[in-house]
This record gives sequence, structure tokens and C-alpha cells, in this order.
Amino acid sequence: MTAVESARALRDVTPASPEVEAPPPEVKPEAPKPSKRRSIPSIAPRRRTVDKARYEALTAGRKALLCVDAVTVSFDGFKALDNLTLVLDEGELRCIIGPNGAGKTTLQDVITGKTKPDSGCVFMVGDHTDLTQLDEHEIAQRGICRKFQRPTVFQGHTVFENLELALPGSKGVFASLFARLSRAERERIERTLELIGLTEHAHTRAGLLSHGQKQWLEIGMLLAQEPRVLLVDEPVAGMTHKEMERTAELLNALAGERTVVVVEHDMEFVRSIARTVTVLHEGRVLAEGSMDAVQNDPKVIEVYLGES
Amino acid sequence: MTEAAVSKSERESSPTEATASSEATEAQASREVKAPAASRLEPVLSRRGYAIFGALALFSMAIVPILNAAVPADSALHLPDYLVTLFGKFFCYAIVAIAMDLLWGYTGILSLGHGVFFALGGYAMGMYLLRAIGDAGVYRSNLPDFMVFLDWKELPWFWKPMDDFFVACIAVLVVPGMLAYLFGFFAFRSRIRGVYFSIITQALTFALMLLFFRNETGFGGNNGLTDFKHIYGYSLHERSTKLGLYVLSAAGMFVTFLICRFVTTSKAGRVLRAIRDAENRIMFSGYNPTSYKLFVFTLSAVLCGIAGALYVPQVGIINPSEMQPSNSIEMAIWVAVGGRGSLIGAPLGAFAVNGAKSWFTVALPELWLYVLGALFIGVTLFFPKGIWGVLSRSGR
Repeated sequence: MTAVESARALRDVTPASPEVEAPPPEVKPEAPKPSKRRSIPSIAPRRRTVDKARYEALTAGRKALLCVDAVTVSFDGFKALDNLTLVLDEGELRCIIGPNGAGKTTLQDVITGKTKPDSGCVFMVGDHTDLTQLDEHEIAQRGICRKFQRPTVFQGHTVFENLELALPGSKGVFASLFARLSRAERERIERTLELIGLTEHAHTRAGLLSHGQKQWLEIGMLLAQEPRVLLVDEPVAGMTHKEMERTAELLNALAGERTVVVVEHDMEFVRSIARTVTVLHEGRVLAEGSMDAVQNDPKVIEVYLGES
Repeated sequence: MTEAAVSKSERESSPTEATASSEATEAQASREVKAPAASRLEPVLSRRGYAIFGALALFSMAIVPILNAAVPADSALHLPDYLVTLFGKFFCYAIVAIAMDLLWGYTGILSLGHGVFFALGGYAMGMYLLRAIGDAGVYRSNLPDFMVFLDWKELPWFWKPMDDFFVACIAVLVVPGMLAYLFGFFAFRSRIRGVYFSIITQALTFALMLLFFRNETGFGGNNGLTDFKHIYGYSLHERSTKLGLYVLSAAGMFVTFLICRFVTTSKAGRVLRAIRDAENRIMFSGYNPTSYKLFVFTLSAVLCGIAGALYVPQVGIINPSEMQPSNSIEMAIWVAVGGRGSLIGAPLGAFAVNGAKSWFTVALPELWLYVLGALFIGVTLFFPKGIWGVLSRSGR
């Protein structure tokens, strides 16, 4: 099955499982309050909400989904992100490129909650919560998923169990103590297994899979999670040309239903998938636009393309 | 049910991959069977598991008491009283070992301070037992002997409710649970992991030991609490009471096993193992590792508290030396020797190590610590999966 077929298959299967499907964002834009899900209270500071005026200004006139607003992160005086503002639209495929130290990884860390910025905020459209105030798992529950550069799966679990853990649903301690796997969920796992070509390996421990199979399993886990935003870090690192093509097809097919952000080093690959490219440099957005426009931008040529 | 069979074979073969292919075919067979509307992915125990479990429980809770009480003392099958009490102690240790395994083997959190929860449960029960003496103590006073000795005129406030057996039982659960919850809350929230966590739990048990050594703390200082006479109206010197405590300890272990097994075979159990293997991924999958760790840490502390409470009336004393850092380390050794991550190895390890300890400390007392050290190193080097790892491999 090629990547495009896989993605199409996914599109086909998604509506077939209404029980497990998250409500579409248009109908119910507010994500459930995290405090209700937490079985054990935390003494985290009170949730900050986003400034209304900024929210309107950033999202006006476009189908925005995720906004990074004036984020600054510094490590020991070095500004990894410097007042960075970035708006991602619903269903777009965005490539983020930039030389080493431009802040690409830090940006992903901020969005997924791994790094707390010094100032600025991140929010999703339809929800005024400042995501930088949330923990990683809460951000993940709001539909922002992350694919690590190296495949990260649960090695000691079977492939089936890996996918089971990824399914959306209640993720509190007591909910999972008494969790039962519904038929719809079971079927969903089986379809995902088919999609990633691991049906025969459903009950194999994930640690025994090959490198490529693990990559696909992780992608399957992310898809099972039903993300709204998918952050993909250097997806083609260490891939053959053939695998690269297949990944490009897959990413292209995935965009449209969900926002896909690809952070990549490989310019050839970016050219093959990109519709919109954001160039980061020294923690700021240097240029944004189509690949051609960006490539012809003199500032970009000077700092990035000129170097290589 | 085929589902059950698959999950069972999956669990049992997890140490080796020899049966992977047969698993796969079985799994395929199970997929063809129409799946029930909603089900647990793994049964708590397979049918065979329940049979073995039942047989062991019957043996320890019925046959052993019969061998002790009903078989005449001159018969070869007679089990002397001291052995019953010894096994009762071992069952208490086994509860601790299972609780440790849940935390260490499944979640990857090595606590080297579980002695403190054991001792706190023991102290809660000890306080009740001491109050149950009434005015039959050495000084014929209504106050516990150590308070008379220290010239205290009144019972401290935290001693007052402990006159009641049921209050004491609640304290057995709540005191270790609360300490674990608070300690775990701050430790896990600060994302303290691995060896750092082990070290601060050592510090915890050491600090509490020093606290309990002080007379002013109000728990009898370094003598601790002892000279107990009755529990819930029954004399502790009666054979029937001893037998009853033994049966309770055994029952405690079997129930503990079932509780922990319920946790590990649930989805929460799979999350716990996922935290052990790839905490980042589970976090980005939307699970909060902190609350899972806090849950399992608190649960295992409560189980240790129960073990301590069953232990104290059988040995007749509780003092701060139970909180020695080395005691907590020894608990980890039971689990390592028995084999981590099976819930079966841990109690085996507790029995094996403590059995060896009982024998050595009588026969060759000066050698015991060397043997313990050698045992730990030897097992780690040659049998990383412990006794259960060896048994389950040779059983196949």
C-alpha cells in the first residue's frame, strides 16, 4: 500500500467509527477543562488566558488553528526564540526550515509544553487558554501531537497495546484502571494496523520491530490519537531516497484533514512537499511564503541558502 | 475464551520470544472470534492461574493451620508454633515485596524507603496494642510504660484515638498513604527520577528513623513499643491468636497479589510499564505520568503499611530500627532475587531471602551479611530475571 493509499484509507475509515471519534472542532471548539480530567489535583498556577485583542488580531481573516504569539525563550542569555510570532492555518502543511540554532527545535518544545517560554503565549483557535501554562499531557489531550526524530514506541508492549494506549479517550488513572476496550476501539486499532502494515505483528513486542516498522508504528500511534496538529521533526533523517518519497506522499496526504508542521533540514525534501515555508533565523521569522518566493528572498539567500 | 488464552500466553512468554510465532497464530485465531462489546484486554488471571492461586491459598490458609493445630505434636507432619509465626512474618515480607515490585518492576521507580511505610503501619498497630495493655503494664498505670518512665502525666493527643482498634486500622492505611502521597507529590512533580529518587527515599527513611529515635517524638524512643498482651480482646500468647494472625497475613498477601495483578493487567498497568519504558512518549500521548506514579507509589505504601500492621503483633515489638536504610534496601533485594516485573517472583524472593536469613543467623550469624551481599551480586550478574526468571524458563 502506498502512502497516499494509506492516507486515503484513513480518510475512509475515520467516519466509520463514530463512537471513538472526537467531536469535530467546529461543533465544540472548547476543549474540556483539564481540571476535570485530573484525578489527582496539582498545585500548578492558575491558567492564564490569552489576550482577546491579540487573539482577534492574529486570527482575523484566515482559517487559523494554532498561534504562537510573541514567544521569547532564552537559555543563559542566548535567545533561542526572539519575539517569534507564527500562525498555522487549519489543514495546511507547513515546513519550518532554518540553519542550526535558528530555534526550530525550541519552537516545537514550546508548542508541546516541554519548554516554558520567558514571555509570549501559544493558543489554539476556539480556546482562549494559554497552552504555555499547561503540562505536556494536557497539550497532547488538546490534539497537538509530536513525532520524534528517532522512533519512540513502547518497546515492551505489543504493537496492539501501543496503539491501544494511543487511542483518544479518558486518560486519568481511575479511568484506565477500569478501562474496557470497546468493539469500536478494537476495530479502530485493527484498521490502523492494516494501514501501517503491521497486522501480522499485532501481538509482537514493539521492541522486536525493524527501524522502519517502528517509524510506521509511531505514525500509526499518532494517527490513532486523532491529532489536530501534527509536529514532525526531521522525518526523513537517515532515510533512503525511496522512503523519502513515500514519506513525502504520506505527509502531503495527511495535510488537509489536520495541520502538519514539518521541521526539516533537507532542502530537496522540503521542496518536494512544501506549500508554505517559514524560514527561522536567530529565533525570528526571517521569511514566510511559497518555496519559490522564499528562495528568491535576498535575506534568506544571505543567511541560509547562500551558506549551503 | 480465546481472548484470555492469548493474553495469558502473551504474559507468560514475555521474558523470551521463543513462542512469538505461536502467539501470532493464536492471536489471529482470536481475531476471527467476534469480539465482545467491551472487554478488558487482559484477564486478571487465566483459568489456570486462578487454579494455582486457589491451591496455594488453600495450602497456606487451611493446610498449614491444620498441620499446626490438628496434627498431634509427636507426628512427623506436625508444624511447630515457631514456624507458623515465622511463616506469618514471611507473608508480611511478601506483601512488601509485591508492593515493591508493582512500583519498581512495573513502573521503574526504585524506592529505597519502603521500610518507613512498613514501620508506620507497624507503629499505628503498635500504638493500639500498647493501649490495649491498659493498666496491666509494669508500672500498673493507665499510661503506657514508657510514658510513666519518662514522667509524662498525660496521654499525648495523637495517642488518644488509638485506643480504638478500628481507628488504629484506619491509621494503618492513612498514615503511610498520606506520607507517600505528600512525598511523592513533591518528588514526582519536580520530576525527580531514577537514582535521585532512590537516594531521597533513603534520606526519608533515615530522617524518620532519627525522628522516631527521640523520646520527645512520643513513640517510645529507641525502645519502641513492646510488651503487647492483647489484640481485640484475644491474648497474643495463645496459639489460636497466633494462628489467626498467620492466616490473616497469608490472606493479606493473596489479596495484595490480586489487587496488584488487577492494576498491572488493566490499561493503567500498561501505562505504568509505558512510563517505565518511554516516559516522554506517554506524556505526549496525553497521559499524566505524575498522577500515575503518585497513584502507584501511594498504593504500594498503603500495602506496606498493612504488612507492617500484620507484622507487629506477631513479632511483639516495633522500634525505629525498622526504619534503618538497610532494611529498605533489603526489601529491594528480595524483589531483585525473586525477579522483577512478574508479581510472582517478588514474594518468592521474600521467602527465599528471609528463609536463608533465618537459617544463617542461627547457624552462621557472622556470615549472613556476606551471603546477602553475594546473593544480590550473584543474582544481578547471572540471573537478572531472578528466581522466577529461572523457574519460568525451565518450566517451558
